[in-house]
Amino acid sequence: MNSAGSAELPPSRSVKPLPPEAYARMTLVLRAGLGLSLAILIASLAAYIVVHPGATSESVLSANPILGYLSFPGLGSGLASGAVEAFLTLGLVVLVATPLVRVLSGFYYFRQGGERTMTAITLAVLVMLLFGLLVIGPLVR
Amino acid sequence: MARLSFRVDLAVFVVLLILVAIAAGLVGSLTGLGGGVVVIPLLVILFGASIPIAIGTGFVTILATSSATGAAYVRDRLSDLRIGMFLEIATVPGALIGATATVFLTHANLEDAILIALGVVLLAIIPGSLARRNIELPPPLPSDARAQRLGLAGEYHDNALDQDVSYQAARTSPALGVMFGAGVVSGMFGIGGGVFKVLALERFLNLPMKVATATSNFMIGVTAAAGAGVMLAAGYVNPVVAAPVAVGTAFGAYLGSRLLPGLQNRTVRLLFLPVIAVLAIEVILRGFGLP
Repeated sequence: MNSAGSAELPPSRSVKPLPPEAYARMTLVLRAGLGLSLAILIASLAAYIVVHPGATSESVLSANPILGYLSFPGLGSGLASGAVEAFLTLGLVVLVATPLVRVLSGFYYFRQGGERTMTAITLAVLVMLLFGLLVIGPLVR
Repeated sequence: MARLSFRVDLAVFVVLLILVAIAAGLVGSLTGLGGGVVVIPLLVILFGASIPIAIGTGFVTILATSSATGAAYVRDRLSDLRIGMFLEIATVPGALIGATATVFLTHANLEDAILIALGVVLLAIIPGSLARRNIELPPPLPSDARAQRLGLAGEYHDNALDQDVSYQAARTSPALGVMFGAGVVSGMFGIGGGVFKVLALERFLNLPMKVATATSNFMIGVTAAAGAGVMLAAGYVNPVVAAPVAVGTAFGAYLGSRLLPGLQNRTVRLLFLPVIAVLAIEVILRGFGLP
């Protein structure tokens, strides 16, 4: 075995490596999240073009069609009524949420392994991500 | 460069966006800089998109390509999940600060300043992309106490070298500092910041080239999610623009990585980097209000 970047100090791998299923689970999360979000986005984009036959590049660039669906109540009622814009928003939310689920699964595996520092780090990252989406974004809108 | 911000039917617009994004994804993949560095200037220059909408689209592009290519790296265990998640503690707050700064600058009608800064950053990452060491396995360095305590080490099988390679991280403190800066740049401009991340992983943490590239790709998605969350909730991600661009860029990146693997070297970077330099200069000129 070759050694790169290895230490002159003895490597203290007292911590256990992540289990193989952690890699498999995260691969699945990334693929499923991407596939689901792109499927929703492509289908709802096609529907948007059909529903808005008069739309042009100019009208699309001048006004973001999903502004009314950026809150939980707005998104919920939009999805319930079948609004195409709400499904476009859902596709974006799934895409943004995919890395969050990946961080959440990291939190789970580090916690299972009893690694307190790495558990705290992944939890802090998760909290910051949610803070950006749920607090900072709406505040600065 | 002529501005083609014309008025076309939405279906035609979507097709144009996909075609431009495929080219951007291809160039971004071949240069190793990611599709965002090409697609964001093109959205502004060719289609007349506002800079925050272009940046919001850049985040979606990163999320799509990172999830697509990152999944393969994770499956092959080239991405070091432990090191990646450790460094996200620095990139995520950086990205939140960067994205928030962009929103405030937009509200203050300082979009031209963002454009100029974007052009400068694009110019700055060009030498950065050429500064990669291209050393497959770096010489050993002493590991620091934090890296040892957190077990920031690993091993992988290198197919090209046909051997198992072990590595251990070093100099975690400066790496965290560089990662914070990379997060700010990524959050502010909607680009992946992979150049800075890879440099930090290679030069400070002393990771092998393949692990550095794969771990950077793994981290980029979470950094982008931080910026995208702010921009989406602030209303600066337009899915009608972002969806076709994300699909096209992901496909272009796939083409770049699958069909032309032999071309991803320094020569090809030298060939395509002038394209990015031209885009950067065009963006700066536009920021100064020059034609």
